[in-house]
Amino acid sequence: MAKKPDLLPGTLDMLILKTLTRGALHGYGIALSIKRLSDDVLTVEEGSLYPALQRLLLRNWVKAEWKMTDTNRRARFYTLTPAGRKQLGVELSHFEQMISAIGRVLSDVQEA
Amino acid sequence: MAMKFLNKLSLLFGRRRFHDELDEEIAFHRAQAEQEFVSEGMRPEEARYAAMRQFGNGTRIKERSREVIGFRGETVVQDVRYAIRQLWASPAFTIVILLTLALSIGANSAIFSVINGVLLKRLPYEQPERLVRIFLSSSSYPRFSLNPFDFRDYRARNQSFESMAAFTRGDVQLSGSGEPVRVNGFGITAGYFHVLGLRPELGREFDQAAEIPGNGLQVILSNRLWRTRFGADPNVIGRKITINMQPYTVVGVMPAGTVHPGNEYHSVAYGEDVDAWWPFSFEGNPNRRGSHYIEGIARLKSDVGLEQARTEMNAIMAQLGREHPGDGGWKVLVIPLYSEVVGASRPMLLMLLGAVVIVLLIACANAANLLLARASSRQREIAVRLAMGAPRARIMRQMMTESLLISFLGGGLGLALAFIGVKALVALLPADFPRAQDIHVSAPVLAFTILVTVATGILFGLAPAFQATRADPREGLQKGGRTTIGSGRQSRLRDALVVAEVSLACVLLIGAGLMLRSLLNQLHLDPGFQQEHVITASISLPHVNYGKREQVARFFDGLVTNLNRLPDVESAGAGSDLPWTGYDENSGFTIEGKKPPAGEEFHARYHMATPGYFSALGIPLVAGRFFTEADTKDTQQVVLINHAMANKYWPNENVIGKRMTFEDEPKEKDWLTIVGVVGDVKDQPNSPAAQPAFWWPELQSGWTSDMSVVIRARGTPSLLADALRNEVHRIDPALAVADVKLMDSIVNSSVSTPRFAFALVGLFAGLAVLLAGIGTYGVISYSVSQRTPELGIRMALGAVRSDVMGLVLSHAARLAVLGTALGVVAAFALSRLLKSLIFDVSPADPATFVSVAGIVILVALLAGYVPALRATATDPMNALRAE
Repeated sequence: MAKKPDLLPGTLDMLILKTLTRGALHGYGIALSIKRLSDDVLTVEEGSLYPALQRLLLRNWVKAEWKMTDTNRRARFYTLTPAGRKQLGVELSHFEQMISAIGRVLSDVQEA
Repeated sequence: MAMKFLNKLSLLFGRRRFHDELDEEIAFHRAQAEQEFVSEGMRPEEARYAAMRQFGNGTRIKERSREVIGFRGETVVQDVRYAIRQLWASPAFTIVILLTLALSIGANSAIFSVINGVLLKRLPYEQPERLVRIFLSSSSYPRFSLNPFDFRDYRARNQSFESMAAFTRGDVQLSGSGEPVRVNGFGITAGYFHVLGLRPELGREFDQAAEIPGNGLQVILSNRLWRTRFGADPNVIGRKITINMQPYTVVGVMPAGTVHPGNEYHSVAYGEDVDAWWPFSFEGNPNRRGSHYIEGIARLKSDVGLEQARTEMNAIMAQLGREHPGDGGWKVLVIPLYSEVVGASRPMLLMLLGAVVIVLLIACANAANLLLARASSRQREIAVRLAMGAPRARIMRQMMTESLLISFLGGGLGLALAFIGVKALVALLPADFPRAQDIHVSAPVLAFTILVTVATGILFGLAPAFQATRADPREGLQKGGRTTIGSGRQSRLRDALVVAEVSLACVLLIGAGLMLRSLLNQLHLDPGFQQEHVITASISLPHVNYGKREQVARFFDGLVTNLNRLPDVESAGAGSDLPWTGYDENSGFTIEGKKPPAGEEFHARYHMATPGYFSALGIPLVAGRFFTEADTKDTQQVVLINHAMANKYWPNENVIGKRMTFEDEPKEKDWLTIVGVVGDVKDQPNSPAAQPAFWWPELQSGWTSDMSVVIRARGTPSLLADALRNEVHRIDPALAVADVKLMDSIVNSSVSTPRFAFALVGLFAGLAVLLAGIGTYGVISYSVSQRTPELGIRMALGAVRSDVMGLVLSHAARLAVLGTALGVVAAFALSRLLKSLIFDVSPADPATFVSVAGIVILVALLAGYVPALRATATDPMNALRAE
């Protein structure tokens, strides 16, 4: 079994926030969405997902509501708060800075 | 940040809901995943397992989520709550472990209170580390007082000291209003308080003019005397008060808490017991420097070290030796005041600290053992928790929380015990123990207790914690935590702890044994006098009314004669001093027809006595006769010497009739004839030997008006106290009768230090042996309970009770013998430290070592006997069925 790459540390919160920009989702939906959008490359461990959601809730970056799903089951749906949207912006810009920094280093190595 | 905190806070009260919601969320997630797998074509059964596998450990998620929303301290609260439940569930275990810890931590706190007050707290003077005491020393007198003229030269010539002063004990009689009283007093030179860094609360201290006789009578009062006797009169300065029947002008009042730095000439005062200071004044021929009776104290300059000061003082003394023939042969001792005050009690205090630390270590080993046993029986619970995904660190923290909780409960109880213990300790302290008033359970003691408590908890908690988390959950679950315990590593650890306990208890018991032998030796010493039925008191005749020697002689002669007439008095007498009260006045003299060895002088303690003194004290006559009423001014001048003096200066000679003198150019009338030899009385009961000493008859050569009266009663001596006061006041109603004491109590207090040391070490040793016994009992009975099936099989196969008994006892014996052997070796190495504390006992005293080894092994076997008895009662069928 090929080992899937782990999530970069610190990126899980950002991915969750990003996923939620498209609308309210329950935990399972978030995991599924990340998996699908990454073409099965990124898998979110449930063991990390729920503690992360609790963390985001605590910081008021997301809020949660119990609603009915399409299949008529009760599920907890998470939505992005304005503070969460702002936080996503912050994290994205940090992430981009980091990626471009890594990119510069790598391209330098390749050219050498 | 604040938001996060508030959210956490609101979640704190919605814990229940949070968990329910999380459960539901996880269930939903699983259901969704399961559906997904089914839609991918899995069979429903397979899908459920796949979903569960994918989801991983639900408990783990919950625990991690809880950590996210929880406060850091909250898990601790959980742990503590859990630990309390655990303790509550097994009260016997809890009581034993808490009592053990409370006693040992309490003992540590109590002893530390003493050490803190006596050794660690700074002396109550300004920059006390710069204060030193100054003594002289020669080959025959290792510590000697100073001569006033020498002192004046030291003070003028030295460069090492910022200031220097001298003092000498001289109690005074205060009269005026009410009954005349004797108060502790000291004569001090100018600047005495300045040296100590103390300032009078009112007025001033003496100036150098006061050192010259005839410059007016002045006195400085203690705060206590000022309050009790003078109503704290703010205008007391300048007032004339009657001291020794003369008008003294009050020039100062010292503040409360003025602590005397201690003295060794005459009886020792320490603490706030000094009530009056008078100016020490002196005059005379500065070339005659033979008499030594003042003590020096000085403050080092900030940039001068002890060694430098010592060198300078010795150079000054050598120079004085060249200038004055009588000043040769002396060395100067410069000793830090701190070691002077507490030096003598330090070894004993450190020994006591060692003893309580040993008790604490034993208690730790005991607690560790009890916890190990319990951790073993909780193996299953821990295995389940590990299997459910609890991190090992979490379980370890849980175990440590439990042991810290135990140690804190024990420490709290211990502190309560310490409060009581310190009171008892202070009450038990020998009367001359320094700084007893500084011993309290104070903030440093509290800090020490907390430190000890935490260290204890960690120490005894470590082993069980590690052992618990090393457990393999599979093994724990399979065996159900029943038979795993007998497994080698754990039982070896438990055995090792017991061996350690036994050996430590052995060390302590040997220490106690040595102290006991030393105490018995001191109690059985022949003091050289008979203390039973003897009452004593001191009387000081004021110079004003008793300035002439005849007046003093007439007073004591009359008093003793009257006392001897009382029906209850067997004999009565008076003398310059009493045995064992610290008296050490010396004088040089000339012996007819003998020359001292080069560079030395004939020296001996000098005393004075009335004829009845020796028979009242029960000092035996060795040769010749005692003084009689016939030895008066008009007859031959006589002297009594002790056995030690006869042996030293007239070895193998008949000393009766030999003559000695105190004059440099004696005329015929200056010679004193030795008429008798009396038995030796040592300075202190544990002094190596009696010092040479002689007595003048009071009627011929009275030189002091401060005398001790000694009465030997036919019945109960204390009943004679009033009779004595009556007789004194019949002659002179203005006199104070002070220090009324039974000779018994003087003798008692002279062994109070060894008794105190033995009582405490014995107490701790008893505690240690008890703990070691409990430890052994615990381990053996645990191993019996674990081996029940094995013993059952053995009995089923034909082993008889005695075999089983032997099996169990041999386990106990192995531990006991090994522990005792180690203990004896350790004690052998350590007991040398006791050398200064024990009297006339070898630190390797074989009797002590052998009997202690016997006792310890016996106790351990006894501790093993009870479980062994239980083992023999095993019913083989039950034992086998239990398996």
